[in-house]
Amino acid sequence: MSKLYSRNEDIGEFVPAPDDDLIICRCEEITKGEIRRAVHDGMRTITEVRRFLRAGMGLCQGQTCGRLVQGIISRELNMQPANLTPAPSRAPMRPIEMYVLGDEKEGGVPND
Amino acid sequence: MERYDLVVVGAGPSGLSAAIEAAKCGLTVVVFDENSRPGGQLFKQIHKFFGSKEHNAKIRGFRIGENLLKEASACGVKVILNATVIGLFRQREVTVRIGNEIVHVKGDAILIATGASENMVPFPGWTLPGVIGAGAAQTMMNLHHIKPGKRILMLGTGNVGLVVSYQLLQAGCELAALVDAAPRVGGYGVHAAKVARCSVPFYLSHTIVRAEGEEFVTGVVIAEVDHSFKPIPGTEKHFEVDTICLAVGLSPMSQLCKMAGCEMTQAPTGYAPVCDKTGQTSLPGVYVAGDVSGIEEASSAMIEGRIAGAAVAERLGFLGAAERDERLKQYEAALSSLRKGMFAPENRGKAPKKTEEGLPISMNLLQKGYMDEAELEAYPGMIHMPGLHPVIECTQNIPCNPCQDACPRGCIKIGADLTALPSVDVSKSCSGCGMCVASCSGQAIFLVNEDVGEGFAEVTMPYEFLPLPRPGERGMALDRSGTPVCPCEVVSLRSAPAFDQTNLLTIRVPAQMAGRARQYRVGGAV
Amino acid sequence: MTNTADVIIVGGGIIGNATAYYLAKKGVSVIVLEGSDYIGNGGSSRNGGGVRQSGRDKRELPIAIWGIQTIWPWLSEELGVDCEYYQKGNLRLGKTEQHLKTLQALTDNAKSCGLDVSMITGDTAREICPYLTHEVIGASWCPTDGHANPMVTTLAFYRRARQLGVRFFTGARVTEVKKLGGRAREVVTCEGDRFEGATIILAAGYGSRAIANTVGIDVPMSQQIDEALVTEAQPPMFWQMLGTAAADFYGHQTQHGSFVFGGASGIEDFLEETEGIPPTNSLTSSAVCRGIMGYFPALREAKIVRTWSGWLDICADKVPVISPVCEVPGLILACGFSGHGFGIGPAVGKLLSQLAVGDQPEVDLHALRYDRFKANK
Repeated sequence: MSKLYSRNEDIGEFVPAPDDDLIICRCEEITKGEIRRAVHDGMRTITEVRRFLRAGMGLCQGQTCGRLVQGIISRELNMQPANLTPAPSRAPMRPIEMYVLGDEKEGGVPND
Repeated sequence: MERYDLVVVGAGPSGLSAAIEAAKCGLTVVVFDENSRPGGQLFKQIHKFFGSKEHNAKIRGFRIGENLLKEASACGVKVILNATVIGLFRQREVTVRIGNEIVHVKGDAILIATGASENMVPFPGWTLPGVIGAGAAQTMMNLHHIKPGKRILMLGTGNVGLVVSYQLLQAGCELAALVDAAPRVGGYGVHAAKVARCSVPFYLSHTIVRAEGEEFVTGVVIAEVDHSFKPIPGTEKHFEVDTICLAVGLSPMSQLCKMAGCEMTQAPTGYAPVCDKTGQTSLPGVYVAGDVSGIEEASSAMIEGRIAGAAVAERLGFLGAAERDERLKQYEAALSSLRKGMFAPENRGKAPKKTEEGLPISMNLLQKGYMDEAELEAYPGMIHMPGLHPVIECTQNIPCNPCQDACPRGCIKIGADLTALPSVDVSKSCSGCGMCVASCSGQAIFLVNEDVGEGFAEVTMPYEFLPLPRPGERGMALDRSGTPVCPCEVVSLRSAPAFDQTNLLTIRVPAQMAGRARQYRVGGAV
Repeated sequence: MTNTADVIIVGGGIIGNATAYYLAKKGVSVIVLEGSDYIGNGGSSRNGGGVRQSGRDKRELPIAIWGIQTIWPWLSEELGVDCEYYQKGNLRLGKTEQHLKTLQALTDNAKSCGLDVSMITGDTAREICPYLTHEVIGASWCPTDGHANPMVTTLAFYRRARQLGVRFFTGARVTEVKKLGGRAREVVTCEGDRFEGATIILAAGYGSRAIANTVGIDVPMSQQIDEALVTEAQPPMFWQMLGTAAADFYGHQTQHGSFVFGGASGIEDFLEETEGIPPTNSLTSSAVCRGIMGYFPALREAKIVRTWSGWLDICADKVPVISPVCEVPGLILACGFSGHGFGIGPAVGKLLSQLAVGDQPEVDLHALRYDRFKANK
């Protein structure tokens, strides 16, 4: 259930950090600094950071960086990571070629 | 559309166990797995499992996998490999990629047993080739027989980090260091001890500052961390390595559950679907078992699978409610016995100071990976007596008891409580058969004869390295920290089918080294 | 917390955020209330990113043209975020004579409104986009159409509006508009929180209907699900927005390389409504893949990394309601965008900001009034 949440709470100015150029999302090459800055730009959820920066939208769909992004956002907002809902999961669970996904087999599972 | 009574996603320990349980009740069951081999992580597990007999204790993981597959096949379970479930949709419809086609299948029940994936930790250079997950290292070594690297640094001292470190040593890799940001070793002390006595230094309260290298890893810098896990300037240490292994935890691979619309929760064991005690999620007929429902050991995953299988069988009218309840009672008892002790899920993050017996937990063990000889004296497995006798260096309450059944003369006692520390009954005499040594999954049991005459003692230790030493060969005896303490001579090397590849190496050392010599190194030079 | 502003906007999508931005620029105080936990969580981040004029109804076409001529080319600069706007044209493809007839009718309609759209041959279409199959025998071509990144554009408006002092609340699901002294003045959330403003703008997609109902206003809308798939990044291939006469798919290649293609399997009208994240179904993405490969065989090896879906708010006559409600002074409706709201979103936001402060909107919105729905006979 959604709860009323003001997007205007003051979390302070964005302060550059020495590790801001650390790559967090390898697939889309999104850095820690970009994620932190997005939080200061008002992105307060993993989903918004994802939509704004593409962190977690690449080949692995956030399998690797999901937790890392969650940690960075929550630290920036000074909250528990568990209070940030992970991004939605969507089919296909693994990247799949268009010609395969478009090839639906009639009948069931083949016998070995 | 083709329909099964039960569709299982994932042919790992929990998925196969559920499939077997359900198929034995008469359900038609199909198991899909995206890998080319079944068994999930089991076939990578070359070490012996903990627990009791009902948990397959002292059996190596891959053999458990082989047994599960045999059982599944015998009861008619269809295991389809290279079959990637890409979605779970309404009315329990799954779409599966098999070869280059998509197959639509429905299940009256679905069991999601997709396991877990490895966590990563970012540091400068973490994207360089040569930084790999510990699980990946294990896959390379144990499935594909490829050494992940020549010289390796391991980050993470949980059981995965410790077990994989030992296996890296077995594969012939050099281990530069074991590092953990936590102030204490996270995994079983016995696992730590067997790595430590191979001369691997432990750096607790340390983290990786950066990986070095342009094209690939050529080195790594670690540093001590303060209480907020920030590196302390001036404490940096450099290691030349070509591989950095990360064993920093696992996360449930619960994406399929979430995609399907299961209610999710963020538990200490990971982001997982909410489920009842039979594994049923918020979606009726959709169950979970194993790591996908929260990270635990494979032993618990197998029982969770049995529970879900029985629950599904009852749900679909293949099993009476009373019979299901009977089975659940039995399985839950087995599960709760595994979930006891200082490593129980509810104790995660806690640091007990004393064992259940009231003995102090060794801080050396938690910080360096090994105990002092003097510290060990307090434990009930540590005895001194004339003649041959076992010495059990098992000092934490972990759910495991094969040593108790191993001794044909009843020298070793744990009792009904699976997590109790083993003690040695000095009134019984040791035959020297070595079954206890080979049965100990933690390789924590030694046979010692403190006086074999002429000022010498003999120490028999579990030995799982190649090449196997030959009797008469001379080498170095190492203490629990892996420091060479004296030259020694190999007296015997015993192998037997019952030992299951744990060889019993007996070395002769000066008598005063009986309590210190715990490892053997080929060659004389220090 | 003061819950009062000059304007209360219900709905944190592209319309709500753009309106808030343009109002804030005028110095108007604004509160935006978003029902979900996420800004831009409805159709605004679940669409194909088309910034099109071609294919639009005559009644909303003037807004699209105005937006493309006066807003889109400068939007990234204005908002300080790259909205990935590409004005490289729209191709609507045909493979059969029947398709060409459909395209001709759309082209004639657009031309009569003064839009530069023409019918081109299959070969000309392949000159514009060399990856097209030879089965394409003709296309309609609108060179001034384009596409942008809908998620980023929506959040860029949000970011800038927030910087200008607009107050945003998520998890604020409005259930009721209340009249005070004869005017719409207050909105109430499901948790009982109240927000008050001189003007209330309903821009909450299909959700606007139930809210408007609480002051006796109805907009004939239904919901329909729309599904899309995203490929892994591909090398840059073409920048046109694409559609087909057969409507088997639509979409474009994005700036970072992924293709985003929407499409349908034909059962969309009959899917049950669900709570939470809009579901995808087991048939659609496969059908869309077959559609795409029928036009772009070169994409057959491209891997799909994700599918998604979203609800469209389909108005009875397939064009939106953008209109003050004269029966309920103070209430402005902006809903029923019928699946083509994103491209006109910034323009609609600017026009709504003009309406909200009592200015004459720069584009005549009369044809989009809320009370236009009459029986045919």
